[in-house]
Amino acid sequence: MVLVSISLAVITLDYRGGTEGPLAVAGRAAQEGIAPLQKAVTTVTRPIGDFFSGLAHLPSLQDENDRLTAQVQDLSAQVAAASYLREQLAALQDQLGLQGTLDPPSVAAVVIATGISNFDWSVTIDRGSEQGIEVGMPVVTGGPTLDAAELVGRVIQVTSHSSVVQLILDRRHAVAGVLSSSGETGLITGQGDDDLRMDLVTPGTGIGVPEPVYTTSYEVNGHPGRYPPGILIGTVDRVTPESNAIQESIQVRPAVDFSMLEFVLVLQIGTEG
Amino acid sequence: MIRRVLSIAAIVVTALLLQSTVFAQLELLGVRPELLYVVTIVIAVLEGPNEGAVVGFVCGMSQDFLLAGPKGITALTLTLLGYAMGLVRTYVTSPSPLLPTTLAAVGTAVGLAFYETVAFLLGQFDQPIGYAIKVILLASAYNAVLTPILYPLLRRVSEGSRRRRVVRF
Repeated sequence: MVLVSISLAVITLDYRGGTEGPLAVAGRAAQEGIAPLQKAVTTVTRPIGDFFSGLAHLPSLQDENDRLTAQVQDLSAQVAAASYLREQLAALQDQLGLQGTLDPPSVAAVVIATGISNFDWSVTIDRGSEQGIEVGMPVVTGGPTLDAAELVGRVIQVTSHSSVVQLILDRRHAVAGVLSSSGETGLITGQGDDDLRMDLVTPGTGIGVPEPVYTTSYEVNGHPGRYPPGILIGTVDRVTPESNAIQESIQVRPAVDFSMLEFVLVLQIGTEG
Repeated sequence: MIRRVLSIAAIVVTALLLQSTVFAQLELLGVRPELLYVVTIVIAVLEGPNEGAVVGFVCGMSQDFLLAGPKGITALTLTLLGYAMGLVRTYVTSPSPLLPTTLAAVGTAVGLAFYETVAFLLGQFDQPIGYAIKVILLASAYNAVLTPILYPLLRRVSEGSRRRRVVRF
């Protein structure tokens, strides 16, 4: 009876305390304590997990290899063109006296743990406030520049040497997105283990499958953009008209394969909301 | 007593570490086992309702503090589950080796359903009903598969850390 009462008290305190209550502080302390152990276990077990994961995916690896080889050739051509454009941009920036770069500074981190229950869509990374990470910072993977980045989520909890990242799959996560060809904006929310859902898109927009969807900094129906514009969120997988016919519902497949996520970049930029 | 507390603490920390690292890679059909449910149920079956409730509370509270979501619901769930499984074991005296496995499957299913219901009533559960049922069914099945492996290990640790009675002649 005492333990049940304590549990009920914890539920009440957590509900009333929010993110700055005593239980949130205790949660951060617990995270601080267990993160080094999680890092050690992950370092030891990841190669074994990768081996078995590789075996499980063996039949699809040849197809994956062919697809990636073609993609590398395609990207090599794009990199060659991009390097020329980058040099041109640098020259123009010099001429105009522009300071800095368009790409924000970032911190590379290793994923050391995942959410502990089946209802928790988060990962823990091995970098924290000591490395300049703050709550609200966007987390990406794929590349250090915004045009190569793929959206992972945002930092929701920070300790000195670890941070918890809420994935875009989480149902409490929302991000403003823009369709690449039409420029139509919408709100993309997580759906757990299903594809993301993009709402508030005007019917008859003419959406292609698979059309890339990027982050946008514009405010959509009161939800401010939490991310810098131009980060790839995913590609349109399916379009279904809503019964009210005043908007279209779009299924967006995330660009990131979260089951294989090992390394991320935390973009060190100020965020709103 | 200290030895017993340390043994239980070691079991809980190990289960937490495995649940958040190794078991994430063992996800099948989008669902992973719920290791702390197995630990609570097995200890309750071995030691009875009171110790089952205490271990369930420690397991649940530890998991709650590492959750990005609401805290306290897992502690409430596992405390009641540990107590209930201990009571069931008191009244069911079957010698069948399948009993712990059956209790792990049923206990996990009931525990997860209770967790989801409480979280829903508190406005903290936003998963669709289909996913909730999928997690209950698959996690129960995975826990049932894990129990024959974990039961002997946990029994050994539990019995090894029990206070030994000294009989003097």
